[in-house]
Amino acid sequence: MSRRIPAAVLTAGAAAAVLAGCTSTAPADNAGGGGPITVNATDTACEVSSTTAPAGKISFDITNAGSKVTEFYLYGEGDRIMGEVENIGAGLSRNLIVEVPDGGTYTTACKPGMVGDGVRAPFTVTGSAARQVDQNTKLAEATAGYKRYVDSQVGALVPKTQEFVDAVKAKNVEQAKALFPVSRTYWERIEPVAESFGDIDPKIDGREDDERDPGVGFTGYHRLEKDLWVTGLQPDSPAIADRLQADIADLANRTKTVELTPVQLANGAKELLDEVATGKITGEEDRYSHTDLYDFKANVEGSQAAISALRPVIDERNKALGATLDARFADVEKLLENYRQGDGFVLYTSLNEDDKKKMTAAVDALAEPVSQVAGAVTA
Amino acid sequence: MLGNALIGLREGLEASLVVAILVAFLVKTDRRSELPRVWIGVGIAVLVSIGVTLGLTLAQQALTFEAQETLGGTLSIVAVGFVTWMIFWMRSHGRTLSKEIEGKLDSAISMGPLAVVVVAALAVGREGLETAVFFFAAAQAAGETTGPLIGFLIGIAIAIALAYLIYRGALRINLGKFFTVTGFLLVFVAAGILAYGVHDLQEAGILPGLTTLAFDVSAAVPPDSWYGTLLKGVFNFSPQTTVLEAVVWVLYVAVVLTLFLRPARRPATSRNAPTAA
Repeated sequence: MSRRIPAAVLTAGAAAAVLAGCTSTAPADNAGGGGPITVNATDTACEVSSTTAPAGKISFDITNAGSKVTEFYLYGEGDRIMGEVENIGAGLSRNLIVEVPDGGTYTTACKPGMVGDGVRAPFTVTGSAARQVDQNTKLAEATAGYKRYVDSQVGALVPKTQEFVDAVKAKNVEQAKALFPVSRTYWERIEPVAESFGDIDPKIDGREDDERDPGVGFTGYHRLEKDLWVTGLQPDSPAIADRLQADIADLANRTKTVELTPVQLANGAKELLDEVATGKITGEEDRYSHTDLYDFKANVEGSQAAISALRPVIDERNKALGATLDARFADVEKLLENYRQGDGFVLYTSLNEDDKKKMTAAVDALAEPVSQVAGAVTA
Repeated sequence: MLGNALIGLREGLEASLVVAILVAFLVKTDRRSELPRVWIGVGIAVLVSIGVTLGLTLAQQALTFEAQETLGGTLSIVAVGFVTWMIFWMRSHGRTLSKEIEGKLDSAISMGPLAVVVVAALAVGREGLETAVFFFAAAQAAGETTGPLIGFLIGIAIAIALAYLIYRGALRINLGKFFTVTGFLLVFVAAGILAYGVHDLQEAGILPGLTTLAFDVSAAVPPDSWYGTLLKGVFNFSPQTTVLEAVVWVLYVAVVLTLFLRPARRPATSRNAPTAA
């Protein structure tokens, strides 16, 4: 026993030293703040020398100038304790070093007599430390992931549109009609990206009654749609078809270098659902062909792709939101499946008012959590 | 002065109460030979506390808040385990037993010698770091004012005196009563330490519910009053107790006290030394 004692002391000492080494903080210099923040605590007041500090390690030197024993706290949101020093006896000084990784509003408090809520004051932490870097990595992964999705859709959009255009130029009306909604599917999935290049969208996806600058004609998908379904092919239809293909090629070129932000992804996901509400459920967009449900489906898929890319970030910031999104997307998918016909969908004209009501309800229910994503990823 | 003395009294009582009972027990049961182990345990705790505090100060570092609370909380909960063991260890000797059976019990409750060291070390060490840091702050202030340091030392001295009185008193009463009284007292002390440990872990954010209070009597029992200090020092009573603390405290007392007060089994049956829940 007697020989084991020194060993025991050494072991305990070493363990404590290691533990301290692993979990201690380096001295904080309050970078740019010019040394520790001093706190002068009395029985009634809590004078903090600076009410702001940069994120990272923040050091407080608390002196109890009062007669009661006091405590000093730094609270985070919802009174989460970021750091505290207890037992600051009258006449004593104690140091508190707190690791605050995120910027935001915090609260300092002295508790003379160790009771109650104490003497509180807001404390602002600016910038953000290491955790933000990790966040940025996650966000960068999200945008990169969505970019891959866009590239894959554009990669299919170009040849599919070419097939459609070729059918129009060959005056093969039936084939062109069949290819029209298929080619548009790839377009509709990535429409927010296309819309970020302001001039392309009107040329490709403009409607006959849209406002246009003088001298700019009605071109793109919907002009060909009208020719195929309503008026029959026109003398300039092949030229319009070539023009559409050129515009699509232009879009493909520009998406190669597009830089998207996480907020754009989130807003894009929301815009696609707004598209559904304003364009598809009204039957306004494909007014001649009534293939709106193809577009509807594509918009929802595009929205889901953007949300999926952001998912790791959403899960980190708002665990419940991800589950809600999953459930609502599934509801819309399930509803759409009721209108399947072969590889495609039934014509929109075959839907009754009740069907449309259900769709509106499902899309609105989905739009609500999707609209929260932008806030979650920028929080 | 008074405030600092009360801090010394509180920290001192928290550390010395269990040690006093342990020493009284060893003396009463003719185990004086084991007393050095108590002092070794106390010594280890004091040395480690001072060593870590000095080391950190010299390196101009401080333990992070989470680390400090996690350490205090974990040590407290481990301490409860050992104090619980001690309660039942004492209980097994609380019966008037023949020498032969006593010998059997001794071997049944193994880890005896080392456990004595650990109980003493944990009792003193779980708050040792906080006390050492406080002592250091008081010593630093001594350059300007010696009031805090003197107050603190007076508090510690009173705590040690009180612990000594408890020890003397414990020696006076007869053996059977001694075990019942000290065991009973220790159950509540241990329950308090457990609740205290839970509170530390709540503050560190490891356990939830820090702001969900079961009761708040800080108006009636100010923590800086002498009676608030005594309640805290002896039973770790906190005027603001969270629901989780209260639940853990009640559960511990209910289980351990029931086991402690249950009639003794036939000595022939083997006895399992219970551990803390």
